[in-house]
Amino acid sequence: MTTRRDMLKWGAVLPALGTGWHGAFAAAPQGLDALVLDTRYPGALDLADASMPVWRFAGDVTPLWTGHLSARWKEPGHVLGGITGSDALFVLETLAEHRGRRVVSRLALDLPRVNGVQAYRWIIAPHHPSVTA
Amino acid sequence: MTIPSGMTEATFADGLAAMRDVVGAEWVFDQPADLNTYRDFYSVFWGEPEERLASAAAAPANVEQVQALVRIANERRIPIYPISTGRNLGYGGSAPVLSGSVVLDLKRMDRVLEVNEDNCSCLVEPGVSFFDMYRHLRESGSKLMMSVPDPGWGSLVGNALDSGGGYTVAGYRGHWEAVCGIEAVMPDGELLRTGMGALPGSETWQQYRLGIGPCLDGLFRQSSLGVVTKMGFWLYPMPESMLSASVSVMRFEDLEELVRIANELEYGNVFNGMPGFSSPVLARENPIVMSMVPEPEVMNAMVAETGLPAWSFASNFYGPERVVREQWAYMQSRFAHIPGVRFAETGFVRLPLTPEDMERIHKPRFGIPSLEIFSVGSRGYGDFNPSDGHIWFSAVIPRSGQGIIAANRVMRAECERLGLDLFMFVPSVTCWTRSFVLFAAVPVYKDATRNRELRDKVREVIATCASHGWGEYRCPPAFMDNVMDAYSFGEHKLRRVNEAIKDALDPNGVLSAGRYGVWPRHLREGRGA
Ligand SMILES: Cc1cc2nc3c(=O)[nH]c(=O)nc-3n(C[C@H](O)[C@H](O)[C@H](O)COP(=O)(O)OP(=O)(O)OC[C@H]3O[C@@H](n4cnc5c(N)ncnc54)[C@H](O)[C@@H]3O)c2cc1C
Repeated sequence: MTTRRDMLKWGAVLPALGTGWHGAFAAAPQGLDALVLDTRYPGALDLADASMPVWRFAGDVTPLWTGHLSARWKEPGHVLGGITGSDALFVLETLAEHRGRRVVSRLALDLPRVNGVQAYRWIIAPHHPSVTA
Repeated sequence: MTIPSGMTEATFADGLAAMRDVVGAEWVFDQPADLNTYRDFYSVFWGEPEERLASAAAAPANVEQVQALVRIANERRIPIYPISTGRNLGYGGSAPVLSGSVVLDLKRMDRVLEVNEDNCSCLVEPGVSFFDMYRHLRESGSKLMMSVPDPGWGSLVGNALDSGGGYTVAGYRGHWEAVCGIEAVMPDGELLRTGMGALPGSETWQQYRLGIGPCLDGLFRQSSLGVVTKMGFWLYPMPESMLSASVSVMRFEDLEELVRIANELEYGNVFNGMPGFSSPVLARENPIVMSMVPEPEVMNAMVAETGLPAWSFASNFYGPERVVREQWAYMQSRFAHIPGVRFAETGFVRLPLTPEDMERIHKPRFGIPSLEIFSVGSRGYGDFNPSDGHIWFSAVIPRSGQGIIAANRVMRAECERLGLDLFMFVPSVTCWTRSFVLFAAVPVYKDATRNRELRDKVREVIATCASHGWGEYRCPPAFMDNVMDAYSFGEHKLRRVNEAIKDALDPNGVLSAGRYGVWPRHLREGRGA
């Protein structure tokens, strides 16, 4: 179950982590249910020691949505962390908002842009009673 | 909080309280963080006082709740603005046209009510997304295929109501053309069913669109007259295969003949998939931007120099392999007389698609929803970052070679004169079979000064297009009045009739005020200002 305190905790923890790739989720906060990594950014492939499911994708959010999130985000809970390009974050944020979820933390990373796209580290957590209860 | 203009806080608060009683407190939103969902992220008014903002939103779960909410709004004259999935990016997002409106967010009404395999049709609620429908069809083992727009996160209902388009078969890819049967809550809260749905016990609601008397489906297209709660669609029987091919010509002067024969073949059902007309030589720097069409000699010299075709017509054939191969052979025979014509089969796939096919195809051409277009660098989107935003400019132009050339030159010259950026420009999109749509994607900014300039420029382009007889078929709210103004025949009789209908059906003017330039009587003078 996700509480308001959890959301605040994740929001606070992330900015304290580094802004490089390895620092980004080196100490993934407890309570993330899954991690999304955008393989367009170097480093996404070798960051594999997370204690949670890691979903990799290359910019197109479709498989992530149809394969995982569409169903999971209908149910209560599920806190998602990610390191992705701003294009993918935009899509995920839009999908999240319409499912009672919000980006509770976002931070631009010091990674080289890919196709001009800035990488972000972020956390999306449920906030609407229908998915937090 | 933005409350509807001319309304007391007490009346508004009373209205929201009544809405909470109907849908439950958690389904009425009036906090800024919640209302963020109902901002148009691609608004050309971003951060300005004119930005169209919702005062609140309410998300009903069923038709009865929609009726109750509409009655509450009508009694108190609270403006409301229904959306289905609210993903109308580039044409207004999920924001209302009139600031202060309460958005009726129908996303919770997401049931696929019926799929009729034999009649190839379905009946859905407004919150059913293209993704939902696709999953429903595949999981139920359906033999049907739907048509989807590029982004799969929208809804069959919302997309069709704004006259959206896809990439599949004629009669289906113009999504409004595939609608058969509508149920709508009218501004007085009563329920209307169009076509055969008006006849109790009828089994033909999704089979015969017209019913009796004037066909009222049109009342709900791009309109402000009802909250659509159910909609029927015709679906295409899954074909055995799809063949893609191209016919390319090497001279400027062959375009007219290319389009003329292609039209005849499409209208005669020799091919059924969405055709594409392009100029490889003029799009060699950027495949989604056609540069200015030069004089014939110049263009022919460019062709000679590069070896690239002057014009290309891409066609798609859906059907049994034997049939599509014959159709393609016949098509080639019809163009064979054009000197230097080149034919190419560019793709052939059998359905159902294999995982390898899925990797290489453009999914919407097979009715498969996707979000790929939002990934920078993907097919069709170039390097434009979706988080920056854009609006669509989409004008209906004649379906002829001359139509393409004139639209290209006028639009290119206007953009150059005005310094208007485009990151996509295709003058000949064919969602509909009988006309072209000149499509351009115009970047928008999170900067008021740049957006102000942008708005002035777009208004000039609208006026210039109108002076050539080209009107937009769809547009963002910021330009709805300008676009409707251009349809001025008979001293704006079209708008005046729409206003008369609006006054008759929605005398309190509560529903979707201002949509496509039709304002209720009390806001008509200032057009919502
Ligand atoms: C990159 C990109 C590519 C795009 N490609 C395409 C494309 O290929 N084809 C295409 O058609 N569009 C395209 N669009 C535009 C748009 O995103 C889609 O048309 C989208 O499907 C519309 O959003 P929606 O389905 O959620 O409709 P909604 O936003 O729910 O509805 C659109 C409007 O219809 C009215 N409405 C909705 N539901 C109701 C109702 N139940 N009762 C009364 N009125 C209602 C409202 O006025 C609403 O604002 C594209 C946009 C982008 C950004």
